[in-house]
Amino acid sequence: MVTLTIDGKTIEVPEGTTVLRAAQSAGVDIPTLCDHPHLTPYGGCRLCLVEVEGARTLQPSCTMPVSNNMVVKTNTKKVLDARKFVLTLIFSERNHFCPYCQVSGGDCELQNAAYHEGMTHWPLQPNWQPYPVDASHPYIILENNRCILCRRCVRACGELIGNFTLGFEERGARSILVADTGVPLGESTCVSCGACVQVCPTGALIDRWSAYRGHDVALDSTQTICVGCSVGCGIKVFTRDNNLVRIDGDWDASINGGVLCEIGHFEPMTEKCDRIHTPMVRKNGSLKAATWEEALTVAAEGLQPLKEKTTSGIAALISTRQPVETIHHFKQLFEYHLGAELVTSTEEGIYTSFASLAAETSGKPFEAKLSDIHDSDSVMVFEVDPLKDHQVAGFFIKRKLPSGMKLLVVDQSENALDKAANKALKPAKCTYEDVLKALTAAVVKLGLAKGKTSIKADELNSLAAKTGLTTDDYLDAAYVIAAAEKPVIIYENHENIVSLKEFATLVDAKLMSLKGGANSLAAAQFNLDKSYKPDRFKAAYVALGDDELSQKMIKELESIPFKVVQASYASSATAMADVVFPSTTWLEQGGHYVNLEGTVQEAFPSLKPADEIKTIGETLIALSSRLGINLDGDWTKELHKRISPVEIAR
Amino acid sequence: MAKPKVSTDWMAGCAGCHMSLLDMDERIAKIAELVDLRSTPITDLKVPDESGVDVGVLEGGINNTSNEEVAHRMRSRCKILVALGDCAVFGGVPAMRNFFTIEESLRRAYIESESTDDSGKIPSDPELCKPTKVRALHEVVPVDVFVPGCPPNADTIFYVLSELAQGRIPDVKDDKLSWY
Repeated sequence: MVTLTIDGKTIEVPEGTTVLRAAQSAGVDIPTLCDHPHLTPYGGCRLCLVEVEGARTLQPSCTMPVSNNMVVKTNTKKVLDARKFVLTLIFSERNHFCPYCQVSGGDCELQNAAYHEGMTHWPLQPNWQPYPVDASHPYIILENNRCILCRRCVRACGELIGNFTLGFEERGARSILVADTGVPLGESTCVSCGACVQVCPTGALIDRWSAYRGHDVALDSTQTICVGCSVGCGIKVFTRDNNLVRIDGDWDASINGGVLCEIGHFEPMTEKCDRIHTPMVRKNGSLKAATWEEALTVAAEGLQPLKEKTTSGIAALISTRQPVETIHHFKQLFEYHLGAELVTSTEEGIYTSFASLAAETSGKPFEAKLSDIHDSDSVMVFEVDPLKDHQVAGFFIKRKLPSGMKLLVVDQSENALDKAANKALKPAKCTYEDVLKALTAAVVKLGLAKGKTSIKADELNSLAAKTGLTTDDYLDAAYVIAAAEKPVIIYENHENIVSLKEFATLVDAKLMSLKGGANSLAAAQFNLDKSYKPDRFKAAYVALGDDELSQKMIKELESIPFKVVQASYASSATAMADVVFPSTTWLEQGGHYVNLEGTVQEAFPSLKPADEIKTIGETLIALSSRLGINLDGDWTKELHKRISPVEIAR
Repeated sequence: MAKPKVSTDWMAGCAGCHMSLLDMDERIAKIAELVDLRSTPITDLKVPDESGVDVGVLEGGINNTSNEEVAHRMRSRCKILVALGDCAVFGGVPAMRNFFTIEESLRRAYIESESTDDSGKIPSDPELCKPTKVRALHEVVPVDVFVPGCPPNADTIFYVLSELAQGRIPDVKDDKLSWY
């Protein structure tokens, strides 16, 4: 610990703390612009200059580490004059005319800093040099005229996302923010995660959707979670008059720490589907609007006669975007009370089934937590592309590569992580069983095996040849993962899970599967992971919500004589239904979700649905009471009944 | 003690700051009690007394030689000069044209605008003032009090005027400080 004095307050902070953080911990306010709590200190804007006794000049507090007996002053005339001067220079550099800017009036850190220093005017006027504006991106406008060169966006892009799209060209006052080598942002390697927009202190990075739709003080915000995939990122949903304005990553969320992907940040804004507003019932061949009474009656009458039929019965499918409570109700109604022939999720367990079985076989959870990726020094990605459907998990890997984490990709198909990998193993058409055997032989040959195996080093030649790769390929690949101290293997519900587990033991690696949708794991825990086999079902009940149904599934369901679909949007799935119930979207409903690492989180509604639109849970209860069924029971108990691949928090 | 004399005028602005002044409603009667309101663009007397006033208030930036004259005249006839509103303080919306040359701006306004037919031409009468780069008031004459805002809110204007009327220099800060 180091003892220092800031503005007369004597405090103790750990060694290595910056003066700025020490001051903040002591409740001393130092204005900043380039500093961001989630990014590496940069020392670019100089607004945080402080007087340090004994130092020749003012020192930037954000980059200066504390030292013993240091005496810091943050509010002397010299410091206050310097702050005003720094702001004067920043304002003189570009076009900071507030009346034209969407963040003016509360959301601009530059304007707020000027107010804080009581600036009534700019002592130096701007030099009227125009800078380029890049509006090529679908979600973001890059407005260099408002940029203060703080490089928060550049650091966020590199440090939080690992994408390194943004950078600066030219020097000094001519510096401009560019994507890649100066290509338009819309044609660059940008992955539209929105981290840059979220950290920008001024209006230089404009979120097209939310700009001019109200300042943060005028908006309502809800702290909740994204249900786009199984990662379960914390988000802040901003709304105004029951309209969605913006979604930000929640800096306080332990899972993602503020980071989001395109699906979490921007995709909900571009909702273009037709909403279903009323229940509908098929009459004389076409769907007609109906009352809830009518629709519930038709649905109940269609389902009742098929009760307990194990052939020619009911097929019931529910989306994994629904909360655990709803999935639990669904299982109760269709499995326990109606004895439906098939009760499963619309994902049919394709992202979880093997992992769940493996856990049941071994009798205990075997998978790792996301924090193990943060702590790991080598990651093996096994036939899965995290940057495709679980982007934030992909960012967690990518952003650690510059600091020396190793990456091995094993994938027959093209993988977005291929180029970033230390070794990308691209086996020709063969089984992954052989690939794992060859990798095992390579580990043994390298003498890096940390466990036992029956596979011998001299089998490597023949095994490698079998997969169309060289022994060197395997030795390189094996070294990446086996030489590491804390390796993690990421996969997605692989049929070779047993061999994969053996391999993980051999190299002492932790395993983690990405699973699928927001509640894939919960559905698996409720045994709703059975695959749908076209049968002579007489009725189908699809609780789709705002999810989509695959074309294959729609085709398979088409021939079923009686179909009830519960959906938010009109689609070919609702078009073929006999009864359609309008359903809320994820933003209009709350409930619990179990993410890929077994963390149970609660989602909260941020929008109010229209009167006629109900949650799937409410509809299930209404339908149950029609059928004389009472839905109760504790979902938390049922969630822990089955042994899970990863430990689920209680 | 005689009531302090106040004159106002406008230059390259939109008159919005003067409208905001009127927006103080019945408090304007209070101001009239406190000060001797001399010339303003919205009353009969348009030019500040040659003998001088105590407080001069200017709205708008300076975008031509005529504005320069207005600014210099007010500065020479008042003791305390107030820059009222974003245009007078920063240059404001008219200053957007500073990113272009004056020729480009004139061509856009008089020849290329959508409502102009083939006969459009740039006015060039010798009696007309000459357009210049748009400047904030303090770039042309020394300013004593800056009141930013687009427009400054009526409460702020009331505060500024009543402080000046009572012989104090207003301190525009905190909730009275807003740049738009």
